[in-house]
Amino acid sequence: MDDQAINHELAVPARPAEQWRRAMSDVAIRTTDLRKSFPVGRSAVAAVDGVDLEVKAGEIFGFLGPNGAGKTTVLRLLATLLPIDGGRASVAGFDVATQSGEVRRHVGYVSQLGGADDEATGYQDMILQGRLYGMSAAAAAARARELAELLGLSEFAERKIKTYSGGQKRRLDVASGIMHEPDVLFLDEPTTGLDPQNRANMWDQIRRLRESGTTVFLTTHYLEEADALSDHVAILDHGSVVAQGTPRELKAQIAGDAVIIRPRLDGDSISHLLDRFVSASMVRNGQVEGDALRLYVDDGPSALPQLFALLEAHNVAIDSVSLSEPSLDDVFLRQTGRSLRDAGRSEGNGS
Amino acid sequence: MRTLRDIWLLFQRPFLQNLRNPSFVIVNISTPLMYLVLFMPLLKRLSGPAFASGHIVQVFLPGIIALLFVTAGTGSVFPTIFELKKGLIERLRVTPTSRLALLTGPMLSWVAWTLISSAVIVALSVPFGFTVHAAGLAVFAILLVLLLTVFAAWVTAVAVLMKGEITSISGIVVGLNLPIILLGGVMLPLALAPTWLRALAHLDPLYYAVEAGRDLAAGAVATTAVGVAFAVLGPLAGLALWWAMRVYRKAVA
Repeated sequence: MDDQAINHELAVPARPAEQWRRAMSDVAIRTTDLRKSFPVGRSAVAAVDGVDLEVKAGEIFGFLGPNGAGKTTVLRLLATLLPIDGGRASVAGFDVATQSGEVRRHVGYVSQLGGADDEATGYQDMILQGRLYGMSAAAAAARARELAELLGLSEFAERKIKTYSGGQKRRLDVASGIMHEPDVLFLDEPTTGLDPQNRANMWDQIRRLRESGTTVFLTTHYLEEADALSDHVAILDHGSVVAQGTPRELKAQIAGDAVIIRPRLDGDSISHLLDRFVSASMVRNGQVEGDALRLYVDDGPSALPQLFALLEAHNVAIDSVSLSEPSLDDVFLRQTGRSLRDAGRSEGNGS
Repeated sequence: MRTLRDIWLLFQRPFLQNLRNPSFVIVNISTPLMYLVLFMPLLKRLSGPAFASGHIVQVFLPGIIALLFVTAGTGSVFPTIFELKKGLIERLRVTPTSRLALLTGPMLSWVAWTLISSAVIVALSVPFGFTVHAAGLAVFAILLVLLLTVFAAWVTAVAVLMKGEITSISGIVVGLNLPIILLGGVMLPLALAPTWLRALAHLDPLYYAVEAGRDLAAGAVATTAVGVAFAVLGPLAGLALWWAMRVYRKAVA
């Protein structure tokens, strides 16, 4: 009887830290006023300027923004590759500043470069990764075979990585990142440079990871990718989050539609035409996109006749007109005044 | 324990990759042979107070061996640059592996390869009149590990801080190579040098290893030069490693 009582008492209370971790377990990542600056010359430039994020456990979270917005820096802060300057961040229930060892044990990180060892074979590379997370040689080998099967690497996993194609290498990078079954997986631009077929394949793999309970935090500068793949999206620009929510919520904020008109005009005349339209009452906003005009209106179908009337009044012939529902790019445009498709180009690379 | 296991894992990767690379294995053995064949004959006619301590090979060899460890240490920067550029180092830094293991594992593979070429050079020098004093050489080996650590840790930190920019990094490494070799007294003993040059030599970690190496090769273990070498290179290796670990923790690259 006494023994039982003691056993009972020992069994129930979990360690406080573990209790707290479990209580937090519906939130995989939380950041509060996260900050990071880098020295540029003698002054410091804020690369991450007060980022608040909340990522639920088990979801795919898309981190969208132009090149140079600070996406990779945020990822590196969360993966403990960089010390944070200010604010707080917890990942998988652990504080990145004070419990970096625990964070490392519970996250996987696949950088843009991937970081595979070209001279090793796929299996060797995966096994080394597993062993660095404390797995035994046998367990790491078994897990590597399992992942090779799952991600379709079996055919070439015995070959040296330097012989792999881009898509093969990217799948191997992901396999290495999940060798230790992390709670949270960071994927930095997982599909950049992949052809459409490999991209679709990668999307499938990422969805499958979510099914297995892994929280996936991915950065992308592809609108379609963030839209199609993510349960929640945060849009980052100049180191700050400008919008956060489900893709549907974000797009719903953009009341109205976009009308894309392709007039038979050259560049300068298109800009003039844009000015005319923007001063017209039913057009809220607009921009030039190559040889086309994108106009935002409250109600596309009813605005079209008025737009046609305006075109006729100015004697402008058109090649085509199309009507589109809001995209995440429209969300970005509304928050920043720029199009995501153009935003990265003028700001150089290296986010 | 965990750290030792990780060091072993990270030691194996570069060591085995070098082993599978025939050109590396050949150069690893042929370079020390070049020193012996191309330089040793020049020493035959040399004599003077600086060489009074013993047979000429006995004086010359420790310097060459110490130099091999310095070049292995600084040379380790090139694979490091490559691995930085491939994101491999970043990938390893995300794992819970200790930062000490991340740095010393690959370093020890350079130690192992340089010990192999040194053993070859020692064995081949015996016919030239080199006398093997096992205890002295064993102590020398420990000193050489410290020497390699100083240079390898230092260049690794520099490489990471300079974000793997190969032009600047190799400029620094190559630029420092010559003064390090000359001030170390590898080619000719600094006993021949004017006072100011001998004073300057004390800034060169290689100098201490070479001075101690000459005593140790002669079988004299408990000498001032040996004591000074450990007193300088031990803390210096610790300092360099500490700096490199700090850089690894905060690295931007």
